[in-house]
Amino acid sequence: MKASMSSGLLLILILATLPAAAKELHATIVYDDTATDLTSAREDAGQLWITSADLKRATRFEVKPQGVCRDELCFPLPKAKREAFIHKDAASGNSRQTWFNMIAFADLVHQPVAHDAALSTWYFGLRSDQRRQLSSLQAPDFTLPDLQGKPHRLSDFHGKKILLVTWASW
Amino acid sequence: MAQDTGGAKDAGPWIDPLKYVAAKPDLPKDTIETAKKIGPLSYTVLIDEKHLVSKLYNMVNVPTGVWINEQGRIVRPNEVAFVDDRFKNFTGMDSEPYLNALKDWVEKGDKSAYVMSEDHLREKLTAQDPSIAQASAEFGLGEQLYKSGHPTQAIAHFKEAQRLNPKSWNYKRQAYALTNEKDYGTTFRDEVQKIGGSKVYYPPPELPATEKKQN
Repeated sequence: MKASMSSGLLLILILATLPAAAKELHATIVYDDTATDLTSAREDAGQLWITSADLKRATRFEVKPQGVCRDELCFPLPKAKREAFIHKDAASGNSRQTWFNMIAFADLVHQPVAHDAALSTWYFGLRSDQRRQLSSLQAPDFTLPDLQGKPHRLSDFHGKKILLVTWASW
Repeated sequence: MAQDTGGAKDAGPWIDPLKYVAAKPDLPKDTIETAKKIGPLSYTVLIDEKHLVSKLYNMVNVPTGVWINEQGRIVRPNEVAFVDDRFKNFTGMDSEPYLNALKDWVEKGDKSAYVMSEDHLREKLTAQDPSIAQASAEFGLGEQLYKSGHPTQAIAHFKEAQRLNPKSWNYKRQAYALTNEKDYGTTFRDEVQKIGGSKVYYPPPELPATEKKQN
């Protein structure tokens, strides 16, 4: 019994010291409620690494010198932990792929993530900057279609009183 | 704002009741009469397949109403918002006090006694519990899996959303409607009984007693 326990421990120690082998997979991410099938993705110890091109395509965020940015919004990356967010492959031929860690970024911006392992799908929820908006008491803006598909934006009704009511068929 | 994962297919008949009954002449007579009574809607009705409004405003049930003033500021937060009595038999709730409050606000604006103080609004609107944000992500994932042709796989995530935010009737009822209540080992009726019945299912709106209409 004692022997099997120590061999088990030894195995765990060996696994922990091995360089983590990233698993390549076909993944889907949902960001701002829009689903994107990624061109390639790597999963490694619960972290989801996507290419910088997919980052822009799926989230409209880009890595810039000042941080991870979209329009006016920018989240600086902690300098000491930059490698937890960005990884560059060793040069191979003409290409040198840059990978971005979506899970570390979600953690940085306090964004909930739900994951379905069997279907390799990740859903990214509202970041804390989006959730905090409600406490400003300014009504969170949104755009939704009517039955004919015509989009309507809440802020288009500015200057009028609005009674916003949700309902459902169920 | 129709909180319907099924989108126009599910919500459409309710938005255009006359067209709906015209296409189905075999409907019960009272359904046709109700549709005629409602008639064409005079306000903007939007379809919210992703439950975005419930997510942005931390809503847990329907109907939920929010009052927003001319400057785009919230002046009354999430509360049950019945503007007629079609569900009165179930809820035991009369829509008149809410309608009177609404008329008072339309007339007096921010000076209406029904407009809430900022502190009170913040207390009611802000969800501090991080599990509520996580619940919303699980529900969103469930919707994505359902829509991409994996309704069975969606169930585990809908269940997780229900566990993390048990106050959300939206998470329960939408999920039951998409597949089957049996997948969740319960029914809407059972869930309502657990909290004490349909007459307490909706917490009534907090309307100042002094403003109650004297009859």
